[in-house]
Amino acid sequence: MSQQSFKGPLEQIDESCWRIPTSYKSGMRVEGRIFVDEHLLDQVRQDQSPEQVANVAHLPGIQMASLAMPDIHWGYGFCIGGVCATDPAEGGVISPGGVGYDINCGVRLVRSNLHLDEIKPQIPALIDALFRRIPAGVGEGGPYLFGGKELQRLLGEGCRYLQSQGLATAGDIEHTEANGCLADARPDLVSPKALERGSDQCGTLGSGNHFLEVQVVDEIFDQEAARVMGLELGQICVMIHSGSRGLGYQVCDDALRDFRKVPARYGIQLPDRQLACAPVDSPEGQAYLGAMRAAANYAWANRQLLMWQTRECFAEFFGRSWESLQMGLVYDVAHNIAKIEKHTIDGVEKTVCVHRKGATRAFPAGHPEVPQQYRQIGQPVIIPGDMGRASWVLVGQGDSMKKSFGTTCHGAGRVMSRTAAIQDAKGRRIDQELAALGVVARARSRHGLAEEQPAAYKDVSQVVDVVHRANLARKVARLRPVGVVKG
Amino acid sequence: MFEMMEHTADVGIRVRANRWEDLFVDAAKGLFAVLLAKPEEIDPVQQVDLIIPGQEDDELLLDWLRELLYIFATRRLVFCEFEVRRTTEGIAARALGEPLDQHRHQPQIEVKAITYHGLKVERTEDGWLAEVIVDI
Repeated sequence: MSQQSFKGPLEQIDESCWRIPTSYKSGMRVEGRIFVDEHLLDQVRQDQSPEQVANVAHLPGIQMASLAMPDIHWGYGFCIGGVCATDPAEGGVISPGGVGYDINCGVRLVRSNLHLDEIKPQIPALIDALFRRIPAGVGEGGPYLFGGKELQRLLGEGCRYLQSQGLATAGDIEHTEANGCLADARPDLVSPKALERGSDQCGTLGSGNHFLEVQVVDEIFDQEAARVMGLELGQICVMIHSGSRGLGYQVCDDALRDFRKVPARYGIQLPDRQLACAPVDSPEGQAYLGAMRAAANYAWANRQLLMWQTRECFAEFFGRSWESLQMGLVYDVAHNIAKIEKHTIDGVEKTVCVHRKGATRAFPAGHPEVPQQYRQIGQPVIIPGDMGRASWVLVGQGDSMKKSFGTTCHGAGRVMSRTAAIQDAKGRRIDQELAALGVVARARSRHGLAEEQPAAYKDVSQVVDVVHRANLARKVARLRPVGVVKG
Repeated sequence: MFEMMEHTADVGIRVRANRWEDLFVDAAKGLFAVLLAKPEEIDPVQQVDLIIPGQEDDELLLDWLRELLYIFATRRLVFCEFEVRRTTEGIAARALGEPLDQHRHQPQIEVKAITYHGLKVERTEDGWLAEVIVDI
């Protein structure tokens, strides 16, 4: 267990970035850079995640630096909060560990025209209705079943397939990262085991840190950007955090098994076998990318179906259509993914494979991949926090392109183990404590709320402060939870 | 016997056994103790036979737990008794249990995968020790 603190060098570059020099470990091809500030630095040193940043710097073809965001914490091989871009033209590799088990885990935010002051007394009943409606928890399937050909289409086309089935609108597609579909997905390379795990799980929340929250816009920091996104003070929104469910876990698991002997085959020396990788352009690399893209498409479809059920539930509860409740999708972001993107590195434009593991794309204003509606303000970035404090909406800023391959943080990051959190909650009623904070919480499992209690997480606002100061993403609005549905 | 290990984001299972085969038995019990709040409520009324190929102890353990997780995730079966036999190809095993009952077994956390991190199978002075971390 690598829970001991990091004793290696961390050199300050500026007020929001620290360096691990290449001299720290032989074999580092680039330096490590961690976006952090003095307040969070001690927490960063508490585990071996900086060591993992240094390990990732060994990967063939890595560009600029091995990066980590302020919500960095220990992960498998790669840290959570890690960003790594590799150039296939320089032997650059793709690593399943750089994406993680929950392929395209991500977050979406849905607005409404409801205001907290109008519906406050109804919140408990609304959360009960959502809790009954949204499939969540261990071993729970959902109402949407996709058979052989349907599942293949869903994996190939993502949210576009759901649009053809009347389960997504053109606006939903437009406001989803990559329009809810990565091209060149290879459903035929998704194993039968993964397909089986995915057949009844699309449109289900899962458990652990996944959630559906009813939130209120608590403070606005950028009036113009908030206006463009249709956000205003006191407004009710819904945030959904989930990923590719069992299908994605199995795709990653299959790839890690298939990759066991691949590094040796290509003469790649690694400091940790969990960094197992293959050249992007190799048959093994392309096979993983094809299956990963199919799993990513499944994840976008999953969040779309979770949102669809939420809209139906709101419509039934308030006796009005979801359109009249103006429940449009603000945006959907992926935070566990690898993508082929163009970036300018040392003045040269390159096509690179960007791994974001617990990190969110944050393209600035004017970038062609930002939807037209947001082109002037930058790509919306949704950052979930813990269920007692806050979540954030940011927009991508210019420096993200030169400092972090167009990337920012993804959340708060745990500070307390699950067993410690359960121990800490003994004799307490977390649901009542949350109620005292104005949050109605419902969870399926006995330990769900205890494990996910606010104290188990870093304060997400401190994390957001760092990326705001580093000019990777700018604060737009803070949202506060008023109701939580957990697995 | 098995015990849970502290871990920030996930859960570790540590197993000590006198016999190599019992490492696999107790690690499997540990997995269902992570998944369920009431694993002691499982009745051994249905059996599943498994063949896990492999030569390396650690990868065999990983693949064994992986297979049980896959059966749980797809067939919703939970197990409480295990028989494990070493063969020249790997292990041959029998798992006994029943379909998941949400009310009786009380599933508590979804295990995404069995990981390689800190994966360990080793001989000790008085038997065997294994450690494995599951991603949740």
